[in-house]
Amino acid sequence: MRRTTVILLRNPLSMLGVVLVAAVVISAALADYIAPFPEHRGAVVDFVHFNQGPTARNVMGTDLVGRDLFSRILYAFRISLLLGVVVLAIATPIGTFVGLLAGYLGGRAEFALMRLTDVFLSIPPLVLAIAMMGVLEPTLLNAMLAVTAMWWPWYARLVYNITRSEREEGYVLAAEVIGASTLHVTFREILPNCLPAIITKMTLDMGFVIIIASSLSFLGLGVQPPTPDLGSMVAEGARYLPDSWWLTVFPGLAILVAVFGFNLIGDALREILGADQ
Amino acid sequence: MSAVLEIRDLHLRFRGHSGVSEVLHGVSLDIRAGERVALVGESGSGKSVTARIVLGLLQELPYAEVSGGLFLEGADLNRLSRRQWQGLRGTSISMIFQDPTSSLNPVFTIGAQFAEVLRRRDPGLPRGAADERAGALLRSVSIHDHARVLDAYPFQLSGGMNQRVVIAMALANHPSLLIADEPGTALDVTVQAQTLKLMHDLVERSGTAVLFISHNLGVVREFADRVFVIYRGRIVERGPTAAIFEAPGHAYTRALMAAVPRITGGGPPEPNDGETAFLDPMVVHEGGGA
Repeated sequence: MRRTTVILLRNPLSMLGVVLVAAVVISAALADYIAPFPEHRGAVVDFVHFNQGPTARNVMGTDLVGRDLFSRILYAFRISLLLGVVVLAIATPIGTFVGLLAGYLGGRAEFALMRLTDVFLSIPPLVLAIAMMGVLEPTLLNAMLAVTAMWWPWYARLVYNITRSEREEGYVLAAEVIGASTLHVTFREILPNCLPAIITKMTLDMGFVIIIASSLSFLGLGVQPPTPDLGSMVAEGARYLPDSWWLTVFPGLAILVAVFGFNLIGDALREILGADQ
Repeated sequence: MSAVLEIRDLHLRFRGHSGVSEVLHGVSLDIRAGERVALVGESGSGKSVTARIVLGLLQELPYAEVSGGLFLEGADLNRLSRRQWQGLRGTSISMIFQDPTSSLNPVFTIGAQFAEVLRRRDPGLPRGAADERAGALLRSVSIHDHARVLDAYPFQLSGGMNQRVVIAMALANHPSLLIADEPGTALDVTVQAQTLKLMHDLVERSGTAVLFISHNLGVVREFADRVFVIYRGRIVERGPTAAIFEAPGHAYTRALMAAVPRITGGGPPEPNDGETAFLDPMVVHEGGGA
């Protein structure tokens, strides 16, 4: 624990990551209290203040129907974080389960599971998500499903590779020799040895899931208006560049801050967890 | 005395892409209660696969064909279901490996792993009671600061310490048979000698039969009551340790003994795998109850 703190404090980039992620999480959690216009998260119209640049009243300006951009970005963080957490919470266990079994059992199970994984990996991720969203209704839930479907194979492949090397370790044979079952060996012996890599990848992926989710909403396939979402806000503002620059720049910066923060933390975690081995 | 383990005419074949390769050609071996039996041979002679067959591990592989009689304390192992055989592992049969540090899981403390082993016999044994029993077992392998060891991770302990932990774990559930597959080969010689002495005393006290697999004749001479020499999947000589070391009857046994490095000089002899005398019939030394 002390070592962890030292690594985090010594490295200014890791500290920056912690600060950025903390800022994003706190603003999402406390959006109701921080946002100057909490009601602007929904369908509100204010034609007195529409499409204005940053002012003292609206620090990031207002959008085309007069809603405060700063407030909407705070609420959009909520959606992004929720999506990231839910996608990873579903994709990681599925991928881990598939990877562990394929890697440990080998033979036909390995062939079936890993070729299935390859099928998913062979489709470009955004294309798969767009195809799914084209068939399904564009809602938050379906966006989560689509991103999950393209995300679990990466975990399957990661865990599969670690399992393949770990199963040759002496402790696996030692466990088999005292009569441990397949489930015990995979989940109680091998899985704990995969956790550092899985946790690191999850942190790094938080950022990427946010990007992909924003890309989907940018294309109009994700969260639907009036719910604030960073991707759809960028898409909406893009038509009014460069005159109404604040419509695009501030949501874009918000995406940058969140993704950058999670990536920096992921790098720090890789160092902390990797050095333990 | 009845046999703890009896292997009768054991054959093993591996099916590969290029056909079938026969690994064991009718190995027969018996171990009586409390007896220490060594299986000696060069690399690839079939020592370790014999051990794995006894544990039922090779039979699970789709490309291995095993035939022959296997009896543990009179019970026919071949008649057991996979689950029953699995139930014997860690309770009636246990095993020690070459490298003690890698046979412990790096992400759990020794105490947690000890508890897992003890729960093979007593499912649901609480951690406190497990630690208490583990402490007593560690004392029996001369580890006196057992509280520290139980809280440590395997990589925080020395190889010799881990070896003693592994020995204590292997004997924790009072198995009737302990298979030691070249134990401590990964350790340095003095530590290896210490831990073997310890293991010798422990199995003697608990009356556990040991199948000791090794290529180290010096260790075998110290440790074993009887020796089986295996060459290319066949037992070429068997008998009491003293008889074999005094008068090795088979050409291969003599070559194996000539290969032991001596402090008085002279390098190892040239490997002469083509020696036809190595394929001579088995030499049996009577006596010692054999």
